[in-house]
Amino acid sequence: MNDLINDLYQEIILDHGREPRNFGECEPHNKSADGHNPLCGDNLKLTFLLNDQNIIEDIKFTGEGCAISLASASLMTEKLKGKKIEVAEEIFKDFTNLVSGSDEDLKVLNEEDSLYALKGVGGFPMRVKCATMAWHAFKQALKD
Amino acid sequence: MGDSKTLNLNVRKDFPILSKKILEKKDLIYFDTAASAQKPNAVIDETNDFYENHYSNVSRGVHTLSVESTFRYEDARKKVQKFLNARSENEIIFTKSATEGINLVAQTFYEKFMQKGDEVILSLIEHHSNLIPWFFLRDKYGVVLKFANIQPSGEIDIDHFESLFTNKTKIVSLTHLSNVFGTELNEKVISICKDKNVPILLDGCQSAAHLKIDVQKLGCDFYVFSGHKTYGPAGIGVLYGTENLLSEMPPYQGGGGMIGDVSLEGASYAELPAKYEAGTPPLVEAHGLGIAIDYMNKIGLDNIIEHENEITKYAFNKLNEIDFIEIHGGDNKRNSIISFNIKNVHSHEVSSFLDVEGIAIRAGHHCCQPLMKHLGVNSTARLSFGVYNTLEEVDKFIIAIHKCKEFFNK
Ligand SMILES: Cc1ncc(COP(=O)(O)O)c(C=O)c1O
Repeated sequence: MNDLINDLYQEIILDHGREPRNFGECEPHNKSADGHNPLCGDNLKLTFLLNDQNIIEDIKFTGEGCAISLASASLMTEKLKGKKIEVAEEIFKDFTNLVSGSDEDLKVLNEEDSLYALKGVGGFPMRVKCATMAWHAFKQALKD
Repeated sequence: MGDSKTLNLNVRKDFPILSKKILEKKDLIYFDTAASAQKPNAVIDETNDFYENHYSNVSRGVHTLSVESTFRYEDARKKVQKFLNARSENEIIFTKSATEGINLVAQTFYEKFMQKGDEVILSLIEHHSNLIPWFFLRDKYGVVLKFANIQPSGEIDIDHFESLFTNKTKIVSLTHLSNVFGTELNEKVISICKDKNVPILLDGCQSAAHLKIDVQKLGCDFYVFSGHKTYGPAGIGVLYGTENLLSEMPPYQGGGGMIGDVSLEGASYAELPAKYEAGTPPLVEAHGLGIAIDYMNKIGLDNIIEHENEITKYAFNKLNEIDFIEIHGGDNKRNSIISFNIKNVHSHEVSSFLDVEGIAIRAGHHCCQPLMKHLGVNSTARLSFGVYNTLEEVDKFIIAIHKCKEFFNK
């Protein structure tokens, strides 16, 4: 099988694509946003609870999408749960650099992170939007 | 392996891009002609020649190059007129795309013939290009939009369509060939419009290079298409309209080239077709479209259609045999387009997987989100064929589809 495809669809991505974790709506929540990919119609709704110490206590999502967008959302919720907002924002920056094939050095993510499995998206520029949909929803929720 | 008499059109050598290797090693199999067709040498070379030897603005100057440019631009119009069998060159307006043609009609037809509360009939299978320009009329002016249902075959439900007419129905706008199902509009729909004396616009984006078009026989009042889907350049489109309607409707955009006489107090407008062509037009692209039409005529549209029908039928039958494939639409005749899903595999996965095999297909909503909603999917994979495709390519695709299914359901 082609290396590019194997890089894109690592086992962990297929797994999270089939069975996304933290799938549902967070109750109670005080932050939410919709993510939408106008190119393909994929969409998701992200909800989370930010406590008074600015820590993401719980975070969930629902939606429809391809394996890449679902896996990215699922892995994101796993990674961000329990993190302080400032850290989460650093992860956001690293992640978007990682999947867009940017040369910038990663600050908080490394090869040990499960999110690193999405690096293969860099080989498919048209799929970057799939991988970042949930992350942009997260950013949006912080703004609202 | 399929073999066939009609399939030997011997045109692949005309398309330089077909010798490109995808990801440096895979032969390109281009199954995305419905999104945009590849260009034959003739179009590429003639476009270069225009820039190298004849280029200037059109209809503006009197010098040699202006004459040569204008000749080519107007000659392209003649070719389009013949291609569509319009009565006169005055009925052929160059636009930048089919999309612009629909916007032009929506705006100017409204201005002349409609008011608040008047109705437009569209359908569920329309491309966003044939929805949003009408949404604008609804949002800005209170026009009422009605949508014809479709049958499981993908064709318009004629009874429902007919029931939508009232004495406020002012125009109907429908796709001539569905970019999702590949099904052709039933002629009855047009005759119903004739009977009710309501003008009909046909979105010919997918029909222009895949059906023989005769606007007089069809009896449509407007017909639009895009050059890039008919082996010509992007940036040029065509609006056909009957001289009666085009004469009565007001100009669309204002600018150079569309005027009769201008003073600071006001202006009179040019005669057709210049009236609708404000500003410097995409003149080289228009010429390129003319060359693309010559190219199709040289092969023969009948041959092209027969060739594509054969491939479409072949691919349909092969896909239909596979139990994990769901084909959208019925078993009815399709022209050059098949939409499908692999059960439990998102169309994006299918498209990325096939891409590394060198196979280009479209995945997504095909700019038909209301239709996707109706089908209960949020995207489909789509095969679409052109003059250069072969049965061997379909065979390779079928093998890749099995590999794809295996990979994602391992
Ligand atoms: C049925 C149909 N209508 C309209 C369009 C819009 O064409 P263009 O973007 O060239 O204006 C397309 C192309 O995708 C189409 O398939």
